[in-house]
Amino acid sequence: MGKSYNTIAFDANKCDGCGDCMTACATAKVGVGDTARSRIQIVGSADDGFELALCRQCGDPKCVMVCPAGALTKNFDTGVIEWNDAKCVDCLLCTVGCSYAGIALDAGSGHVAKCDTCDGAPACVPACPHDALTYVTTSRIYNEVGDWEDLFAPGLAGCQGCNTELLMRHTLRRVGPETVLATPPGCVPGMGSVGFNGSTGTKVPVFHPLLTNTAAMLAGIKRQYKRVGREVNALAIAGDGGASDVGFQSLSGAAERNEQILFMVVDNEGYMNTGMQRSSCTPYGAWTSTTPIGKGSGGMPSQGKTQDAKNLPLIMVNHRCEYVATASTAYMEDLYDKLDKAIQASKRGFAYLHVYSPCTTGWRFPTDQNMEVARKAVETNFVMLWEYNRTDGLRFTRPVDDPLPVTEYLRAMGRFRHLSPDQISHIQSKVVENLAFVQQMAHRQSA
Amino acid sequence: MTTATLETPAQAKPAKQKVILCEGNEAAALGVALARPDMVAVYPITPQSSLVEHVAKLIADGKMDADIVDAEGEHSVLSVLQGGALAGARTYTATCGPGLAFMFEPYFRTSGMRLPIVMSIVTRDGITPQSVWGGHQDAMTVREVGWVQVYCETVQEVLDTTIMAFKIAEHHDVMLPVNVCLDGNYLSYGTSRVELPDQAEVDAFMGVKDVNWHVALDPHRPMAVDPLTGGSGGKGPSTFVRYRKGQCRGMQNSLRVIEEVHEEWAQRFGRSFAPLVEEYRLDGADYAIMTLGSMTGAAKDAIDEARDAGRRVGLIKIKTFSPFPVEALMKSLGKVQAVGVVDRSVGFRWNCGPMYQETMGVLYRLGRHVPSMSFIGGLAGADITVGHFHRVIEATEKLLSAPAPIEPVWLNEKD
Amino acid sequence: MTEHTKYLVVGSSHAALEAVTAIRMHDAEGSLTLLTRDPHLPYSPTVLPYVVSGRSAPDGIFLRDEKFFADHRVTLKRGNALKALHAERNAAELADGSELAYDKILLATGASPAIPPIPGLDQVSYHVLRTLDDATKLNAAIKSSKQAVVLGAGLVGMHAAENLVKAGAKVTIVEMAKQLTDGYFDAIAAGLIEKAFTDNGATILTGSRVVKLAPSTIGATLTLENGSTLEADLLLVATGVRPNMDYLAGSPVEHDKGILVSDSMQTSVANVWSAGDCAQAKGFFTDDKVMNAILPDATEQGRIAGMAMAGDPGLKQYPGGVPLNTYHFFGRHAISVGSSRVPEGGEVVTRFDEASGRYLKAIFSADNRLTGIYGVNEFFDGGVMCQLILRRIDLSAIRERFVANPLAVGRELMSKTWR
Repeated sequence: MGKSYNTIAFDANKCDGCGDCMTACATAKVGVGDTARSRIQIVGSADDGFELALCRQCGDPKCVMVCPAGALTKNFDTGVIEWNDAKCVDCLLCTVGCSYAGIALDAGSGHVAKCDTCDGAPACVPACPHDALTYVTTSRIYNEVGDWEDLFAPGLAGCQGCNTELLMRHTLRRVGPETVLATPPGCVPGMGSVGFNGSTGTKVPVFHPLLTNTAAMLAGIKRQYKRVGREVNALAIAGDGGASDVGFQSLSGAAERNEQILFMVVDNEGYMNTGMQRSSCTPYGAWTSTTPIGKGSGGMPSQGKTQDAKNLPLIMVNHRCEYVATASTAYMEDLYDKLDKAIQASKRGFAYLHVYSPCTTGWRFPTDQNMEVARKAVETNFVMLWEYNRTDGLRFTRPVDDPLPVTEYLRAMGRFRHLSPDQISHIQSKVVENLAFVQQMAHRQSA
Repeated sequence: MTTATLETPAQAKPAKQKVILCEGNEAAALGVALARPDMVAVYPITPQSSLVEHVAKLIADGKMDADIVDAEGEHSVLSVLQGGALAGARTYTATCGPGLAFMFEPYFRTSGMRLPIVMSIVTRDGITPQSVWGGHQDAMTVREVGWVQVYCETVQEVLDTTIMAFKIAEHHDVMLPVNVCLDGNYLSYGTSRVELPDQAEVDAFMGVKDVNWHVALDPHRPMAVDPLTGGSGGKGPSTFVRYRKGQCRGMQNSLRVIEEVHEEWAQRFGRSFAPLVEEYRLDGADYAIMTLGSMTGAAKDAIDEARDAGRRVGLIKIKTFSPFPVEALMKSLGKVQAVGVVDRSVGFRWNCGPMYQETMGVLYRLGRHVPSMSFIGGLAGADITVGHFHRVIEATEKLLSAPAPIEPVWLNEKD
Repeated sequence: MTEHTKYLVVGSSHAALEAVTAIRMHDAEGSLTLLTRDPHLPYSPTVLPYVVSGRSAPDGIFLRDEKFFADHRVTLKRGNALKALHAERNAAELADGSELAYDKILLATGASPAIPPIPGLDQVSYHVLRTLDDATKLNAAIKSSKQAVVLGAGLVGMHAAENLVKAGAKVTIVEMAKQLTDGYFDAIAAGLIEKAFTDNGATILTGSRVVKLAPSTIGATLTLENGSTLEADLLLVATGVRPNMDYLAGSPVEHDKGILVSDSMQTSVANVWSAGDCAQAKGFFTDDKVMNAILPDATEQGRIAGMAMAGDPGLKQYPGGVPLNTYHFFGRHAISVGSSRVPEGGEVVTRFDEASGRYLKAIFSADNRLTGIYGVNEFFDGGVMCQLILRRIDLSAIRERFVANPLAVGRELMSKTWR
């Protein structure tokens, strides 16, 4: 029970109905590109939008229940509902059982046919020229992580819709119990990770460093355990303010000394825990409680932050750390991959993971939109997902070749609502400039 | 208190001690090496720099087995050590002046977390005006933050006290950080004959290291270190009060422990230093002058000369400034009718020296009017000479017959 | 001492098996016993025609194995029927004379062939098809049959007839009703089915009735209402089924054509539930309680009963039975979903291409909700159609498109509405 499986996901917004997926499926399954025989069926029209009919590999599959011949079975290892042609009697009851048109008569063979995910390498997915189909393999995360102990206490008190708790729990589960955790002042301890009044919020040793000395304290801890021959992970889950502003010196110092620390920054682009004040990671134009909107004086209205954000992860690259990466909670596979690499790197030296984490409260968007905002940030190249190590240099892990206009991101939240056209074009040009800069680094270092 | 310290042999004969010639900073470094810390973190600053250079060289030469962290600033220096201490390390650093000011944030926190870190303050005057010279202003400024602070008079005392400081800090009844203050310029660079204790003897003196029994960041015994205490209406404030009261109790306990450790040191190594308050030629004195740190040498010379000249003057030297040794000082002040207090720093609020201000509190407790006055000298590396002390003695003597001046006397104003 | 079980599930087909799964989803520990009169592991009566034809191996049709019951901590009692239900003292009296006390019981005892009261039937040898043993006997018999008679043109009879035709026998189907597959498919669909059979050499006698049977040298002689006779070396009686509920005699459990149940499959006795072919539950199109002895409904009812018995708070009430049938004959398919009755003010739309044999009939209510859809050689997703009916989806705007292509339009609606 409780196992998760990989799945084929469909983004209707990206589908133009070209049918390449169906051709690929039919070719893979019956050897001819007859789309009528594809097990994935795109229906609908350009006017009305395209839709998908495909086996969902249900957890409680009705097709299996109604099969009188025992020809359909759920494979609990792969999650795929398997069809046994030797047992099938062609009665079609399965097609009546399924509410999703996931199993249907293949007129060409006279039998029912359904998606079997091509044994975990579905032919349809790479065939899609628009990335409307993706093979989501995050089940690995759930299955692996689900077996590991959640090392935070239940009931952390984050704001509604905040994904930092998700990030914290995943991270600590992955890093494991042989860890000392530092959570400097900010949302992470604010939601109770260090506890209150003498009770802890965490099952591993945890402490509040100062906002300023997280990396230094962890360095001392790690060094002492190394000295006495104990393998203990030193982990920081810090905010962007503490890392990029007042804590930057100790962060930089520890990175330069290549201390064996995993330093994760949860970047919500401001001092959100203390009431949404500006940090040096706050982007240009953003409203914060210390860059408010007002009519100003001398004809100069106050229109949010007047400077561009500091690019902390790039600065960390210039420390030539063991590992530096940016990540987003909207891309958990990518994040997990990087977390694994960062953990390994932190056994050799300084590993820095910068996770963009939208703030429902401070950025002013509906609480159900966190993942969408995080995704839009990446899809517009407002933030870029990449990783760096000294051997391979910098490389994009999720390059966005055809980015959405930055307005798609900006309009998703209230903190940019006041922007003037000039401000928007400034932000768009910064996106282009930042992309070019990182691309140049990626190019140079891969050369 | 560890068992080892309780088993002090009554008739211990100190091992033959090596005699060397060295400056105070080197003496401090040698003391640190003998105390065998696990971790030292360093950042250079005048006049402390040669101290950490000596430490670094001892480690580089294999004469000291410690992890040295060349941190990027004093703030991180102390923070690294906090981490080390929470992981069970015996830790040491040194700083002064602006460096101490910069590390104030973690400095304040060290005593609250009850971490027995030892830090030398190679005392330096406070800027501005810009100055790299000695003075007690740095250490005095942080006297109210819960660290034990002891001031040394000689290079030998620097070495011996540095070792003793670890034992005092790590005593289970204390568990507080300790500053060993040595005067910048005068002690840091002053070279003199020093007896170097034997390592085995020091090891026996130090006993078993046990620095994070009370608070630790250790996956084997996970705990939250310093969780938030809530606001009024809950148990937050009362929790906070218990912490603070515990710190104060530790400070008071340290007065006893400092005496015990000095006593044991004397028995083991044959060198005796007044642990809290030293009286010099106070018996039969009508009045006294009070000193702190290296100025005491010149003061003693002046006292000798004055006594020879028939003045009934004695000297009271403070070694342990924090916690302030109220009971011990009351005993000494109880013997005299007037007192002049010489500070190497200023107390801006009372327009006098800080030690003078503390002394006034003790005098009030005496319940008897003892005329007193404040002298401020030795700022920014200025010399307080025997001549200056004669002025102090003369002015203090006048208190026996004339009203005490309110204004302090600035000893070097017209040098 | 009487054996006790917390849950007693009687029966071993779809309803019973789904109930077991549902109980175990919510109550992993409570003692659970599955009692079945059948000596075999669980199988579906629906698969039996394929055992007859030889397509399904008799040992390859089981829906669960011993391991399943062991893994789910279910005590499996095979070959022992429920003889009498003593609901007043929560005890089941079994055919072997033993008693089994229960806290909660599910009656999923299914049905047995209904044997018509034709004079002489008890004098001749005949086959029925409800159990695996029936199927293996019939499978052996058709191999030597030269001329066979099938009484009843329901799906069981038609399946068997097709097997006999394919085995080379001369087959006659005798059906009282005016058409084949009455109650499953309409006259046009039945005509298409009939044509497929006659094209393959079968004789169809609809609107016809056997009035007398007598033994003959090859087997039996059947006398029809019109006086003509038929000789059969193999006689299959497939004139419908009747629920197994004789064990209720003298019990307070209310029953009519079947065992009467509420929308959570509870009978008139609080700790007694019933599901599947023996249960009489609400119909989707009528508040009357009806027999809807079809496989998908049996699973649905079994699931609901199991959840109710275990106290699962996720229980959803039974929406009412929707008739659903699929029928595969001579390489062709017929599917029916929903009711054949045209509602007040409703409308029937048909599309029939005689050349290809493709036939579609859709029935809409006055407010353009689908209430029934039938197809022969016209493939659509039965499950999707069923959802359109259950959800009462408004098809006003797209009715024409829907009738033209129920497969594609149904999928569009599905993807937009309940994806």
